[in-house]
Amino acid sequence: MDIDGVEESSRQVQVRFVTKLKPPYKAPSTTLAIPTNITRLRLSDIVNNILEAGFDDWQYQPFDFLIDGKFLRISLEDFLVAKGISAERVIEIEYVKVVAPRREDISLHDDWVSAVDGSHDGYILTGCYDGLGRIWKDAGICTHVLEGHTGPITSVRVIKLKVESAFNLVATASKDRSLRLWKIDAGELAQPKKTRAFKILKGHNAAVQSIASQPSGEMLCSGSWDCAINLWRANGSDAGGDIVSVKRKKSRGDEEPQSEEEAVSTLVGHTQCVSSLVWPQHETIYSASWDHSIRRWDVETGKDSLKMFCGKAINCLDIGGESSALIAAGGSDPIIRIWDPRKPGKYDPIFQLSGHNSWISSCKWHNKSWFHLVSASYDGKVMIWDLRAAFPLHVIESHKNKVLCADWWKDDSVISGGVDSKLCISSGISVE
Amino acid sequence: MKTLKNKKQHKKEGPEKINGTLRRIEQQLDQAADKSEDSSSDYDFEVVDNESLSEDEGPPSESGSEQSEPSGNEDVVSSDDDDGNHDDTRNNRKMDGGESDDSREVIEESDSSEDEVAPRNTVGSVPLEWYNDEEHIGYNLAGKKIKKKERQNKLDSFLASADDSKSWRKIYDEYNDEEVELTKGETKLIRRLLEGKAPHADFDPYQPYVDFFAWDDSKHPLSNAPEPKRRFIPSKWESKKVLQLVRAFRMGRIKFDDKPKKESNLYDVWADDSSLAERQGLAHIPAPKFKLPGHEESFNPSGEYIPSQEEINALQLIPEEDRPKFIPQRFELYRSVPAYDKAVSERFGRCLDLYLCPRARKKRINIDPETLKPKLPSRKDLKPYPTTCYLEYKGHKGPVVSVTAESTGQWIASGSNDGSVRVWEVETGRCLRVWDIGEPVQQVVWNPLPELPLLAIAAGQDVFILNTGLGSEEEQKKIEELLHIETPTAPDDSDKNASLISWGPDEKHGGIRLKHFKTVSSLEWHRKGDYLSTLMPHDILPPTLKSVLIHQLSKKLTQRIPYKLRGLPVSSAFHPIRSIFFISTKKDVRVYDLLKQKLLKKLEPGVREVSSIAIHPGGDNVIVGSKDGKLCWFDMDLSSLPYKVLKPHKKDINKVSFHRSYPLFSSCSDDCTAYVFHGKVYSDLNQNPLIVPLEILRGHASADGRGVLDCKFHPRQPWLFTAGADSIIRLYCH
Repeated sequence: MDIDGVEESSRQVQVRFVTKLKPPYKAPSTTLAIPTNITRLRLSDIVNNILEAGFDDWQYQPFDFLIDGKFLRISLEDFLVAKGISAERVIEIEYVKVVAPRREDISLHDDWVSAVDGSHDGYILTGCYDGLGRIWKDAGICTHVLEGHTGPITSVRVIKLKVESAFNLVATASKDRSLRLWKIDAGELAQPKKTRAFKILKGHNAAVQSIASQPSGEMLCSGSWDCAINLWRANGSDAGGDIVSVKRKKSRGDEEPQSEEEAVSTLVGHTQCVSSLVWPQHETIYSASWDHSIRRWDVETGKDSLKMFCGKAINCLDIGGESSALIAAGGSDPIIRIWDPRKPGKYDPIFQLSGHNSWISSCKWHNKSWFHLVSASYDGKVMIWDLRAAFPLHVIESHKNKVLCADWWKDDSVISGGVDSKLCISSGISVE
Repeated sequence: MKTLKNKKQHKKEGPEKINGTLRRIEQQLDQAADKSEDSSSDYDFEVVDNESLSEDEGPPSESGSEQSEPSGNEDVVSSDDDDGNHDDTRNNRKMDGGESDDSREVIEESDSSEDEVAPRNTVGSVPLEWYNDEEHIGYNLAGKKIKKKERQNKLDSFLASADDSKSWRKIYDEYNDEEVELTKGETKLIRRLLEGKAPHADFDPYQPYVDFFAWDDSKHPLSNAPEPKRRFIPSKWESKKVLQLVRAFRMGRIKFDDKPKKESNLYDVWADDSSLAERQGLAHIPAPKFKLPGHEESFNPSGEYIPSQEEINALQLIPEEDRPKFIPQRFELYRSVPAYDKAVSERFGRCLDLYLCPRARKKRINIDPETLKPKLPSRKDLKPYPTTCYLEYKGHKGPVVSVTAESTGQWIASGSNDGSVRVWEVETGRCLRVWDIGEPVQQVVWNPLPELPLLAIAAGQDVFILNTGLGSEEEQKKIEELLHIETPTAPDDSDKNASLISWGPDEKHGGIRLKHFKTVSSLEWHRKGDYLSTLMPHDILPPTLKSVLIHQLSKKLTQRIPYKLRGLPVSSAFHPIRSIFFISTKKDVRVYDLLKQKLLKKLEPGVREVSSIAIHPGGDNVIVGSKDGKLCWFDMDLSSLPYKVLKPHKKDINKVSFHRSYPLFSSCSDDCTAYVFHGKVYSDLNQNPLIVPLEILRGHASADGRGVLDCKFHPRQPWLFTAGADSIIRLYCH
C-alpha cells in the first residue's frame, strides 16, 4: 500500500498495525513500510488513512500507539533505539484511541466541592463545603439537593442496590461527625428537589473523613478523625419498605422521619485520621490513614490482615487495575504509588507515578480498564494515567485551584471538584 | 794489671754514659794489655804511655796484694783513699780547668743532682779522630772552642807520674781532654764488674731465704684432692651458650654487619657546625642562614648586573622600604672596594633578630579537616522531616504573628497583626472561622486537651478564651458551662495582683475576657488544659505586681508567681510532665518548682537576648532561641550552661519549637528561613542528645524587615507550620 508524503525519509521500517478495538476501527493486518523518523501524529494520520479507505463516513479519530506494551511519545526511530528493538523485523504497533476528553462541562456549586461519586451512570453525586449534597443528572442539571448536614460534607458514596427499586440510595459523611443516608427518586423536576436524609448514622467522635459501601449495598463503613472505622447497616432490609412508605406518606408535610442508628461494629487499629476507605469485596475493606499505613480488614473478624507503611500521610486509596487487585494511593506528596498486595512480603510500590506538584487528593481506577487511573491534586490538575506509560496520558487543567476530588463517570468521563467550587465533567474519553 | 789502671771516675754519669765510658775503658785496657805484652817501650799512644809509665811507677805490692786477695783489705784501703782522692780530684780539676770554670761551676752548683752534670764538650759521640788535626777538641756549653792542652813532654809526664803515687789510677779522658782520677770505690766497682760480680759490694746474692708463706697448719699447699673431671672435659654451659648463639645467628637475631661502615669522605663544607646542634638536642633550631652573595655582589660584576643611570633614577622613585638595599657597583681592583658602611648595623640587626625572635619548633599537625567534623548520621536516615511546602494558608491581611495546632492535627489557628484570629483546616487550607479581635494579636494558643477546643488569644491588654465550636454537642455543652461567667468577678480580696485581673464574659465573641493591667505578650497552657500562664513584660512595675500570672480556668482564679524576676520576662512554659515552670527573661531561663515553690535552676544561655524557649516533650531538655540568631540546647541534667550552641540564623530567632513525638525541633527567624533539626534524646542517661541540622525551609518573603514569625509542628505528622510576616502560613511536609 502506498503512503503519501514519506519520500523524504531516509530509513524505512516494516510495521503492522494491530488493535483490540472493535471493527470500525480495525485496520487490515498488512505490513507497511514507513519511515522511522515518524511521530505519533503522523502514525495517527496513517492509521486514519487506512481506516478511511475501508469506511465511507469516517470521522477523524486520534490514536495512541503502543510498541511492546509501551506508549510511543517520541519519534519511532528514537523509540526503537531507546528500547533496543531491531528495525529489521516487522514491528507490531498497537493503536488505541487517544485518552483525552472531548468536552469539558462545568457545574458551579456554592462552595468548595469536596467529594464526588460517579459510580452510578445516571447521575453524579457531589458533596460540598456548604453542607449540601447534590445530585446532578448532567452538567448543570441538578436534580436533588441533600440538606441536613451541619458541617462540610467530606465524602459521598452511591450505594449500589442489588434489588432494582424505585429509588437510589446514597450516603454522605460530614465534618459534623455524622453520616446520612438518602433516598433518591427519579428526579423529574426542573427545580432541584430538596431532600432530607432518612437515616442519620451517629457514633463518630470526630469529623468523618471517608465512606465506603459494601458491593452488595448492605453495609457501610466510615473512617473518621477519631481513628476508628465504623461499620453501619446501610439499609435495614427488613424495615426498608416501611420507611419508604412512611416517607411517601409524610412527603407532603415538612416533617420526615429520620431514624438514627448506631454503628454495628468498629475496626480499631489506625492511630490517626482514616482518610480513605474502599470496600472492593464482600468481606474485605481497605483503609488508608494519615498514620502512613494502608490496612486490609477482614469484616468478619474485624482484624487487619495486611498492614503496609508507605512513610507518607495518605489521602486517597483505590483498588482496581489488574484483576482488581492493585492498590493505588496518594497522599502528602506528589507521587501516586501502586502496590500489588498479592506479592507476599513485599511492600515496595510496583509503580510510582509522579507528575503532580502537590498533594494527591484523589485517585481512582477506571472501572473496566486495567491500566487507567485518574488522579487529582492540590496543584489544580487532574491527570489520566496509563500504567503502561510513565507519564500522564492527559492533564485536565480546568480547575483554578486545588482539586479535592475526582472520579470516573459512565466509563468515558472524568468528574472532578475543587476549591474553585466547580464540578468539572470531562467527557468523551475513550478508554477501551 | 794494666787493665786496672784504665778507670773512670764517673759512676754518677748517665747509664749510657757509663756504658760508653766502660766500653772505651775496655778498649784501652785491651790495647794496653797487648802493648804491654809486646813492649812497654812503644809510646805511640799517649795515653797508654802515660799509663804504662804510671803503672810502672805504681806500687807493685799494692797491686799484687789486690790481685792476690781482692776482697780482703778492700775496705781498709778504700776508706783511706776515698777521702784523699776526693780532695785531690777537686784540686786537680780546679787547677787544670782554668778556662772552663763556668761549666765546672755549674756542676758544683748542683750538688744534689750530680747526674745532670753535662760533659764539658758538646760535640757528641763523634769519632774523635776528626779532631786529631785540630787545635781544639770541641766546644763547651758557651760555644767556645776547647783548646787542646799543650802536650807535655813524655819525659816530663813520665817523671810526673813517677812522682805521683796516684798516677796509676789516673785516666785520661780523651773526650774532655782531661785527666780524671778514679776514686778507690770506683776502682773497686770496676773491678767487681770485670769479675762478673754484683756491682755493689753490699749486695749479698746468697742471703738466707726467708719464707713468707705460713706453713703452720697446712701440711699441703692448697688441696690434696685430685683434679676434678670437669677440668678435663668441655664445659656444658659453655656449649649451651655457644648453641644459643649459633641458634641466634641462624634465626637472624644476631646480625653481623658484613660490610664495614663506609664513612663518606664527602662533607658539607658550608654546613653549620652540626656537633653544636647535636649537643643542644632535637629542639635546637639552627639560625636561619644569611643569603649567600650572588654575582651582583661581586666587586667586579659582569655588565648585566650593573644598573644604568636611568635604572638608578627609577629606583629613587620606589618607596624606601621597597627599594633594593644593594646596588651593584664595579671596581677595577679588589683593594679599591671601600669598607661596607652598613656592616655593623646589619650585623647588629641580625643579632637582634636572632635574639629577639625566639625560634621554637611549631608542632604542625596534618589533619584532614573532614575528619574533624563530628560524625553525624546522614540526613536520609533521619527521615521523616519537613522538606517541601505543599500547602499555604492565605487569608490574613497582616503579618501572621502566631500559629497553633489543635492536638489532633485537624485544625490550626493563627493570629495576625491585623487583629484577626483564624481557624484553618489543615488538610485543605480552608479557613473555617474568623474572629475579629480588634487589636493586634500577640499570641494564639490552642488548648492541649482534644475535648476542649478552646483558643486562648492574647491581644493588647486582654486575654480571650474563645470557643471554636469544633467539639461534639456534649463537649460544646461542657465548654459553654466552663466559659459561662455571670458577672465580672469582684476584686479578689486575697490577692492584690489578682484584683487587677478581671474575669468577664466576652459578649462579642462568646468567650471569656481576662483584662490585664499591662500588655500581655505571651501565653501558655498547662498540659491539663486548666491553667493558663500569661506574661506582661514591663520595665516599670510596682514591686507588688508580678509580671507572670497563672490563671485557672475552671475556678476562674488568678495567681501570681511568687518569685522575683530580674529582667523582662520573654517567654514561659510548663514542664510537660512535672509541675515545673520555666520563665525566660532576656538574659536567662529560670526553672521553678510550683509545688515546692522554689527556684530549681537557672539556665544561662550567654546570648544577647533570649526570644523564646521550648521544652522537649521528655522535659529534660530545653532549647532557647536568641535575638542574635543563636540556638542553645540545654540538657537540664547536665549543666546550667548550654550543651550545644548552634547559630543557624543571621537574624533574630523568633520562635523555637519541639515536635511532640518525632525527634525534631525547629527555629524560625527574621531572615525568612526556618531550620529543622534532628534532636534525639536518648533514654540512656549517659548518651548525649544527638543534634543534626536537617533542612532549611525557605519560601517566606520578608515584610518590614521581619521574616518568619512563628513555627509550630503538626502534633502528629512530621510537618511544620510557619507563620510569616508576608501574612501567609505555610505547611512544610515530609
